Amino acid sequence: MRRVIGAVIAVGVVLIIAGLFWLNHPRSHNSVAAVPTSPNAAKIVPAAGASPPDDGNWTMPGKDYASTRFSALNQITPANVGKLQVALTFSTGTTEGFEAPPLVVNNTMYVVTPWPNYVYALDLTKPGAAAKWVYKPNPAAAAKGEACCGPVNRGAFYDNGRLFVNLLDGNTVAVDANSGKEIWRTQVADIQKGETITMAPLVAAGKVLVGNSGGEMGVRGRLTALDEGSGKIAWIAYTNGPDKDVLIGQNFHAFYPKDQGHDLGVSSWPPDYWKIGGGSVWGWISYDPQTKTIYYGTSNPGPWNAPQRPGDNKWTASVFARDIDTGQAKWAYQTTPHDLFDHDDINEIILADLPYHGGRVPVMLRPDRNGFFYVQDRRTGQVLSANPYGYVNAYKGVDLKSGQIIPNHALDPKENRVTRGICPASPGAKDWNPSAFSPVTGLVYIPHINLCMDMAVQNANYVAGTPFVGADVKMYAGPGGNRGVLTAWDPINGRKAWEIKEDLPLWSPALATAGGLVFYGTMDGWFKAVDAKTGKLLWQFKTGSGIIGQPISYRGPDGRQYIAVPSGVGGWAGAVVAAQLDPKDPTAALGFANAVKDLPTKTSPGGMVYVFALPQ
Amino acid sequence: MSLPFRNSGSAAAAVALLALLGACDRESRNTRGQPLGETVPTGASPDTIYPGNSQPPPLTAQAAAYENNAYAISQGQQLFTQMNCVGCHSHGGGGMGPPLMDAKWRYGGRIDQIAASIAEGRPNGMPAWRSKLTSEQIWQLAAYVRSLSGQVPKDAVSARADTLSNTPPQTQQTPEPVLPAGSAQQ
Amino acid sequence: MKPGRFTALVVAGMAVSGCGGIQNALGGQAVQSRDFVSLFAVFMVVCTVMYFVTVGTLMWAVFRRRRATEACTVETGRHEVSAPGSRTALVVWTTLIAVGLSALAVASFFTDRSLAAAARSPKLAITVTANQWWWDVQYTPDNPSHIIRTANELHLPVGVPAEITLKSNDVIHSFWIPNLAGKQDVIPGRVTDAQILPRQIGQYRGQCAEFCGTEHANMALDVTVESMADFKKWAAAQLQPAIAPTTPLAAAGFNYVTTRQCSVCHNITGTPANGQLGPDLTHLASRKTIAAGTLPLTRGNLYGWVADPQSQKPGSQMPTMQIAPQDLHAIVAYLETLK
Repeated sequence: MRRVIGAVIAVGVVLIIAGLFWLNHPRSHNSVAAVPTSPNAAKIVPAAGASPPDDGNWTMPGKDYASTRFSALNQITPANVGKLQVALTFSTGTTEGFEAPPLVVNNTMYVVTPWPNYVYALDLTKPGAAAKWVYKPNPAAAAKGEACCGPVNRGAFYDNGRLFVNLLDGNTVAVDANSGKEIWRTQVADIQKGETITMAPLVAAGKVLVGNSGGEMGVRGRLTALDEGSGKIAWIAYTNGPDKDVLIGQNFHAFYPKDQGHDLGVSSWPPDYWKIGGGSVWGWISYDPQTKTIYYGTSNPGPWNAPQRPGDNKWTASVFARDIDTGQAKWAYQTTPHDLFDHDDINEIILADLPYHGGRVPVMLRPDRNGFFYVQDRRTGQVLSANPYGYVNAYKGVDLKSGQIIPNHALDPKENRVTRGICPASPGAKDWNPSAFSPVTGLVYIPHINLCMDMAVQNANYVAGTPFVGADVKMYAGPGGNRGVLTAWDPINGRKAWEIKEDLPLWSPALATAGGLVFYGTMDGWFKAVDAKTGKLLWQFKTGSGIIGQPISYRGPDGRQYIAVPSGVGGWAGAVVAAQLDPKDPTAALGFANAVKDLPTKTSPGGMVYVFALPQ
Repeated sequence: MSLPFRNSGSAAAAVALLALLGACDRESRNTRGQPLGETVPTGASPDTIYPGNSQPPPLTAQAAAYENNAYAISQGQQLFTQMNCVGCHSHGGGGMGPPLMDAKWRYGGRIDQIAASIAEGRPNGMPAWRSKLTSEQIWQLAAYVRSLSGQVPKDAVSARADTLSNTPPQTQQTPEPVLPAGSAQQ
Repeated sequence: MKPGRFTALVVAGMAVSGCGGIQNALGGQAVQSRDFVSLFAVFMVVCTVMYFVTVGTLMWAVFRRRRATEACTVETGRHEVSAPGSRTALVVWTTLIAVGLSALAVASFFTDRSLAAAARSPKLAITVTANQWWWDVQYTPDNPSHIIRTANELHLPVGVPAEITLKSNDVIHSFWIPNLAGKQDVIPGRVTDAQILPRQIGQYRGQCAEFCGTEHANMALDVTVESMADFKKWAAAQLQPAIAPTTPLAAAGFNYVTTRQCSVCHNITGTPANGQLGPDLTHLASRKTIAAGTLPLTRGNLYGWVADPQSQKPGSQMPTMQIAPQDLHAIVAYLETLK
């Protein structure tokens, strides 16, 4: 009898232990796409039509409408990149955060500076690349007091002999690329309401698409389309408000029930809060010429004090697909309803075709602020996978059936209290700086950050033209102690292939080349080249100031491959240096000053373009 | 002559009591401003050139009164958050706007210069509050801004912030020097 | 006498003595305060009886004539143990105390259960945020676009249990509507709540009950308990955005209010004035009082308040501004249209 009891107990203990192991095994909320059988079908390629063959120019910040930031030039390879040396330098005379990539078209390099938004046209055929012309638009200096995160500019756009530039004070200009003369200037945003423009416009199908900035200023976010020839406003798609303002009409089909309904941009806000609710469009737009669809995301809702604005707060922190001619929305997906942590949705959207469950699906790849790498069907918005690419404890996961993100309510900020240890911090697992996609390796190279934060929220007051935030934030390094990471991400399998830890946050975009290299810059000025397959550091060069700008690659007049990068620290991450902030106050720069209080010893402000090439 | 006290001990106590009473205007609350309305100075700056041997203007008595007044500083602290100064200047560290707790001042660090900056606005993005706040409120804000860099006596500042921020209390702050206007460019 | 009638008698007595009216802690116009008043009556009865018994016995002990045995105790220093009278007294006293305390305990228990039952399944959700020195009242249904925001007034439908969530933006206040329910402290950084189930239609006055600064005495709340139909009418009107001005003077006032000092602190839904610091003014003219119950809403009081709030509530957050006379006419003209 005793033996029987003993045996039963032993079996029971074993079962209990096994059960505990099973329970502890992290069960993913996300399904991973099946690996297909045919080797050719396993490749992920950029969206057809959105990524034409590389002509050696760089005409738009994203390199192509699919936003691959990939150069097909392959002269510089892992074998010879160790010999890369400076070929050319150019000083812009400005010392604010330098984010815009230089554009290269017809052997001319166009450099756009932060405020005062000078545009230089450098003749690459002349020795020392002497300037052909300089365009000085004189934007209002008062705009600098309305720009949350540095008076930066994220780039111009070249199309059909013209350069299109957004000025900080809310104007968009078209400049003749040969002469530098201004062709038209249209006011799109109003600094009296706290609006500025920092984003790079997207020009396609005869339209110039411009979004306003000001998610921290209580603005009414919107995307405006100007006519390319005349500059007149063609349509405006608001982010919040009734369907007729958001341009949600008959052809709109949201994939998930949570995004379906009438006038959700009003009913998900307290009365009138949608008018001052943010949702600005200050990031990246991608375009699919085959379906004439633009894809972009919207910013955080305002104020940061979430208890003040109950409701889902649509359509902030959402992704839209719109028809470029009319602006009418085709579908929308709200990634982070009732955002609590300033997790905007404005990051780059890479358009690709992906093998999925035996077939191929046209998708959008986006490493989101909230820490998840979304792979979505770009025809409908359906989320195929959403896996964390950084450390996330603010959310438990994304439920693929309902499309809902699952918040971790233990970290909900409450008015007049401090919530500690929220990861990722408000700049997210990755902020605006875009990743690059290489069709050769099939990997997305994500330069991003590893920061957590403490947050205290209180009642925010709205006064037009002043910040509408209501939060004190203090940021610091996340688990591991490294504040920056370069992750090579495999979108098909939803996991990282390799990563490089960096001491300082990575605030510069990445460049991938067919030669097999990935280029990126660090906030203390190191410009690095790593092997695209393994991540091994192959070359680095210390530039004069921290790098937060986009590197590009182009074919010079002599047929050789060149790599160019802007160097000039600033932006939100570099504000402690560019604006000489005082890190005694850890909440300075919305909490960023505390995370990088060692930055002033590691770099100083600057504004220089560096061009590198192999020796002759 | 004989004093009306029994001994020198109580005489000393009486003198001490009189002296203490003199400190009682640390927190005088003037809630309506002067009867004829106050005005904030329009840009008087001791940091400029005064040609022909003329003198920079002294600090007015009204400005000096606000500077060390605990009630004014604490009202200024409340207004600093309510008027969204915090949104640009954080709790003195800066952000969109320059820091207010360091030694560098673009437009001058004397209390009347600070009040003028608030009232008139400044190029590069400081909004003009003259038509939105009363002069008294502007002086209170200027008094609080002075306290951010430790310029005011320790018994006039509040021991902690109204909101749950992460900054150290002002009573433990060492005062910064006040460099002349334009020093922020250096 | 039946307990209900006795309660009524107590209350009537109190009313006669001056505790009647709109701010009456013994009013009992809601389930919570009625339960309290009933419990209060029980306590009064028990304690009064015990009081008179005790005092009466003490008086008797003081004034009765001494008996011989007691004289003996005093002169010889020995006292008799357990005189029959003292044992009876012991038993009687113990019984009285036991019965009295049990009555109190039982009454408390049932009152507590009744309050808990009234608080179950509330039908109306209200959030009241206390500020120095006014009450920010928001009706918070599930649909956020139906949030009603008003200040210093509460409308409650009779017979509907309401749950009031209490928050503070600055210091500790206390939410007290004497006729309807007991006090509940409002503490910054915490969320407390109060339940009210009103039973009688009428007009009542609430008051801050925790010293919160120089104007603590002028921090009142107008409470209107009305029929469900009237409440729905009021709520529907409150959901409308502010009425646009129709006369030139009101239009000038609209201009001043939305572009000058007023919009920095006050919100008027449907206009560019979206300040979040002060009371919501969207339907100011539909209220009975202004300045948190300090002044009745009349044209004269509006003029006086806007022109010089510091004369009425010195130290309040609304400053005395130098408003030119013509602007003052325009502002008041506009504010009067905000029904």
